[in-house]
Amino acid sequence: MTEATGAPFLQISGLRKAYGNLEALRGVDLELRRGEFLCLFGPNGAGKSTLLKIIATLLRPDSGRIRVLDNDLQENPEAYRARLGMVSHQPFVYQDLSLLENLEFYAALYGVKQPRKRALKLLQQVKLIQRCDMPAGDLSRGMQQRLSIARALVNDPELLLLDEPYTGLDEHAARIFGEQLRMLHDNRRTIIMVTHNLRRGMESATRLGILARGRLAYLQEKDQVDPASFEALYFQHLEAS
Amino acid sequence: MNSLRQILFLLGKDLRIELRKKESLVSMAFFGALLLVILNIAAGVDNQVDADAGAGILWVAVIFSAVLGLGRVFAREKENGCVAALLLSPVAPGEIFIAKALVNFILMVLAQLVLVPIFYVLFGSNFSGGPVALLPILLLVNLGFSTAGTLISAISAGTRRNEVLLPILLFPLLLPLTALAIKATAGVLAARPLFELRDQIEPMIAFGLIFSAAGYLLFPFSIRED
Repeated sequence: MTEATGAPFLQISGLRKAYGNLEALRGVDLELRRGEFLCLFGPNGAGKSTLLKIIATLLRPDSGRIRVLDNDLQENPEAYRARLGMVSHQPFVYQDLSLLENLEFYAALYGVKQPRKRALKLLQQVKLIQRCDMPAGDLSRGMQQRLSIARALVNDPELLLLDEPYTGLDEHAARIFGEQLRMLHDNRRTIIMVTHNLRRGMESATRLGILARGRLAYLQEKDQVDPASFEALYFQHLEAS
Repeated sequence: MNSLRQILFLLGKDLRIELRKKESLVSMAFFGALLLVILNIAAGVDNQVDADAGAGILWVAVIFSAVLGLGRVFAREKENGCVAALLLSPVAPGEIFIAKALVNFILMVLAQLVLVPIFYVLFGSNFSGGPVALLPILLLVNLGFSTAGTLISAISAGTRRNEVLLPILLFPLLLPLTALAIKATAGVLAARPLFELRDQIEPMIAFGLIFSAAGYLLFPFSIRED
């Protein structure tokens, strides 16, 4: 596996977000170094997806700051987004366009120099090259998630956000997806994944965290975590929610 | 320059899907043509329609059919969460607005290429003004309709009752533009020169410009979750 290096890549401090009276995030502080792979677990409604959406600039926090390599996220969101990729439980692809057309479109949107070449390379990487002319809507759920990884990588992002990427995948598709994830994790790329899949999350991550009731209740390097006690702690939080 | 390229990529993607599926275009043209035929039947055997009524008939067909296209353009982005992917990209929301408004504008023009000839076939014997003189009026309405419609369809696409909410919000907003268009079209059908219609044409230009600016500025708030 890889080692995280250098100064903090992502710094989050005092992040708060409420939907009306419901407080989704109640002061989240987090620091990640370049190359780290953080997997966040937590019960439903803990604020995991809200946290990812704020980091992705899809939602604005009520208060708190996010800095990426000492640049405030709000100062130049377009430049920040050019370095960001996201995989969600939704594939973010157009059903009526072919796999190649989808990736070519996104690559062009990100200003990639040779969008077609990049699209073909990524389709090769996620093992979908033989289906490159097929409409994305005809793919199985597992294949759509692989296409989704390729889409998220068109701009070669430094920060990759994964929001429940295992949702709806059968065991075989989840295994292939997990392999793809491990391939993605190199020293350059920082990854934050939110999932309920404890086993899959633990095998990929370098750091593990639990978000509960809008707060980061636990954060630890994976090497220093005893899997059995972590699992027990996680279930404790699930029962308490 | 980069913004222009991104707008063209967005526009190209939407047109490619539309030309492949023809969902919006076929339904717009078919529904508009159906309205024209029904109104032709209602006009009776002698088919006597004056310029004011003729203008009303044309714009009922054009505007009701255009709403079908407006709804589809954003519904497509909502499928599979593609709208989030656009917001995650380095494209500014204002550029997404311009691209979407252009798609709606082009769809309206294509539908009118079908509807205006049908209108003249069914009702043309009543009017001395030809279809070419209608062009500036059609383009001005398309500008106002596509910009206001894009903004409203982005707002309504985030709701559960998209199909119901879109016309409810849009039609009252477009009422002044529609009234001006009917008046100007009646003038054209009666073979009045365009310079005599500037009392209608100038406010139509203003309407288009105001909604272009408002759409560009308000679009980021209408498309985001927060």
